[in-house]
Amino acid sequence: MKENGAVSGKKRAGFLVRLVCFAVIAVLLLVYANFVLTPKHDYGICSMMNLYRQPDDSVDVLTVGSSLAYAGVNTNVLWEEFGIASYNLCSAEQPFWVSYYTIKEALKTQHPKIILLDAKAATYTRDYSKRGRTILSTFGIRGIGNRIGAIMACVEKPQDAVSYILGLPEVHSNYKKLTAEDFTFPPDNGGRGETWKGYIESDVTEHHDRPSVVWNTVKRNINDREEEYARKIFEMARDEGITIMLVGFPNPDYANDHMYYNSLWAIAAEYGITGINYNDPKMRFGLRFSTDFADWQHLNVKGSITFTRKLGEDLKELFDLPDRRGDDYYASYDICAGIWAEKYADFASASVEKQPLDWFPPPPGKLPEDFIPEEFYPEPPEEMWPELPEEPADA
Amino acid sequence: MSILTVEFLAFAACTLLLYYLMPLKVRWLVLVCASAVFVCLSGWYSAAHLTAVALVMWGGGLLLQKKKSRLLLAFLLVLDLGAMVFLKYYPAFSGADLILPLRLSYFTFQSAGYLIDVYRGKAEARKNPLEAWLFIGYFPQLAQGPISTWKELGPQLRTGHRLDPDSFVSGFQQLLWGYFKKLVIADRLASVTTALLKGGDLPGWFVLGGVILYAIRLYLDFSGGMDVVRGFSRMAGIELPENFRRPFFSQSVAEYWRRWHITLGAWFRSYLLYPLTTSKAGIGLGKAASKAFGKKTGRMVPSALATMLVFLLIGIWHTANWNAVVFGTYFGIVMAASMLLDPVWKSMRNTLNLPKDGWMKPFRLVRTWILTLIAQYFAFTAGPGQGLSLMAQTVQPWSFAGFAEQMTGVMELTEWIIAAAGCVIVLVVDILCEKKIDVCGGLAKTHFWIRWPVLLALILVIVVFGVYGSGYDGAAFLYTQF
Repeated sequence: MKENGAVSGKKRAGFLVRLVCFAVIAVLLLVYANFVLTPKHDYGICSMMNLYRQPDDSVDVLTVGSSLAYAGVNTNVLWEEFGIASYNLCSAEQPFWVSYYTIKEALKTQHPKIILLDAKAATYTRDYSKRGRTILSTFGIRGIGNRIGAIMACVEKPQDAVSYILGLPEVHSNYKKLTAEDFTFPPDNGGRGETWKGYIESDVTEHHDRPSVVWNTVKRNINDREEEYARKIFEMARDEGITIMLVGFPNPDYANDHMYYNSLWAIAAEYGITGINYNDPKMRFGLRFSTDFADWQHLNVKGSITFTRKLGEDLKELFDLPDRRGDDYYASYDICAGIWAEKYADFASASVEKQPLDWFPPPPGKLPEDFIPEEFYPEPPEEMWPELPEEPADA
Repeated sequence: MSILTVEFLAFAACTLLLYYLMPLKVRWLVLVCASAVFVCLSGWYSAAHLTAVALVMWGGGLLLQKKKSRLLLAFLLVLDLGAMVFLKYYPAFSGADLILPLRLSYFTFQSAGYLIDVYRGKAEARKNPLEAWLFIGYFPQLAQGPISTWKELGPQLRTGHRLDPDSFVSGFQQLLWGYFKKLVIADRLASVTTALLKGGDLPGWFVLGGVILYAIRLYLDFSGGMDVVRGFSRMAGIELPENFRRPFFSQSVAEYWRRWHITLGAWFRSYLLYPLTTSKAGIGLGKAASKAFGKKTGRMVPSALATMLVFLLIGIWHTANWNAVVFGTYFGIVMAASMLLDPVWKSMRNTLNLPKDGWMKPFRLVRTWILTLIAQYFAFTAGPGQGLSLMAQTVQPWSFAGFAEQMTGVMELTEWIIAAAGCVIVLVVDILCEKKIDVCGGLAKTHFWIRWPVLLALILVIVVFGVYGSGYDGAAFLYTQF
């Protein structure tokens, strides 16, 4: 070791400059490594990453929420049939605390007229997000402030946030799954092009005999943190002059959600916000539980077309949304719809006829032996969903 | 706070920044403050115990300097070491659940060494209690060791160091190297030990391979941690004593212990072995043994007996269980036997005209490996029974049927490849160092366009291939329990 003072000030200054340069290069390298190792799933991370690639202020309707939302709102149908420029900014099991920060981040480049807020988060009972969901819903956010905010909201203990904020401690073991595409920037959005608008199709069908539906005015308290952030979203939208519309996505396994939705609607009403619950048994728009769902809660391609047609009609009726078709600034929507039409030629919206307004047209060959049509498709009588007394507030 | 956490890195970086930003005279106070924060973060109990030990050490040192009283020294050592013995071993016998202060045996040994050195006149008692506190509470040392003497560490801590680019770069390289050894290799090999401990019908080759990999893992784990703390200290201009010098290249068990956990061995040698062998009783025993066994062998008897005692204590120092007793006794017997039989070996070598070097070198290397590996069977198992059972499995007829399944059952092929590549890199570097080629120093002196890519690649390898992050217990250093 050299004696104190043996190193000249000039040498020390030069060393400090080199040290800073090295640190900068190392940080850049690690940032890139973090990008490469981050899983490029379209259902969360990439829908956020891709939003940054959309032309500024080119989204009129922003859908925010869970997998029910990204599988339900078919952005191509909204574009082709209604001229609505929409984007799905969703992630699997997205709680309101993530929705809050993703909306905040989106507002940096977009100023949508309407935000469709998926009501599903009102049914979540967890106080914090699971690890995988935290990664999925926050790693696509580029803005440091909002990313840290979202992560802090997801984790129970502040010290747990460090590894998510740094990123690499959480995703470094993905080196086993890397492909050449992971190294390219900007990312390929989980195999989708940059014109993609966040709709994720489920091209499978799960037959449902009948939905579990309940319809009453009973409320069940929603999780405190979900409520806190739902209120924050409502306040932010009010401050930004953006209209929020709550959406209850059609769901064969709905019964458990209903009472939470009632609570959310009541909270939203305090802010003058309303919405549409498409699980309303009286609302018939041709959705078939036998053929239009991919699983126990997600709409499939066919279902998304039927649902989105109804949604588009409602949006047009309720709001003054411009028809952007033919506008060059929105050309990416044409490209996205073109890719979609090519990939799903059988389902291209034009070829799917409007369906009769019954719930359960039975698929041939799939009927139970003791099938009695009258019982199978009941007209929902009032007594089937009697009005129940209000649940006590402290329940 | 484990040295494997991001929090530690941030803490260490901030300490380093503050250290160099403060005026030279008060830089040591930055280390005091940082160490105080570090100790407090590991629990009030650790902080209180360490401070109590420091006060005993400080006050005792001043008293011993004033009056060299053997009785006082004995009293202070009983106080110091007694507290450690009670906290560490009482639970093993009583089943009581006591909280162990962080690195209890490290700082206790260091304080005891200080008191003995002051008594011997080898160290000057510190008047400032903060200096005494920092000597045993210096946070990188509390994180992983080594056990330093006052002479080695004390004055360095008290002196304010200016930023020295060479030391800084060299320290940074050592720090990265430590993380590489620990995170990329040692922790990857942990699953092998887990598979061994699961038991079952394991083939002999698998058990032997597993024990060898455990030995490698233990070395990389401990020496990796040491490299991190030594590297950090060097970045601050402080040189901690070396604790490992490539022990697997040893030609004898004695040499192995001179290269493995060097500071622990040195402590026992300096403060126990030498006093025992040079005591009146030791000298008397030597004379009596010389009469009985002849001069050559007889004079080794006191050393051999003291060595056996020392190794028994080293074993128990590691942990309070029967495995530790077996471990210590085994090494004690091997060491004592090699001392007492040394004249026999020498005459045998002469008779058979065996070369000193040549093929004898690899022979001695393998012999040392075998002798140390036997002890490893008792290093990671739950008890001597399990260790013996694994030994028995090792010598069963070997069958390589299902080799691939057995290996991939422990970890994926990719992981094996990474671990193997890591081991090869460490081996090459260690071989070069054995040949007196200073790899670290050489790299530090190369042009930046060679050095920077190497260091950046090392950072990337650690960050990507390191075993850390979610689901990993960053505090799981094998030696943290001591």
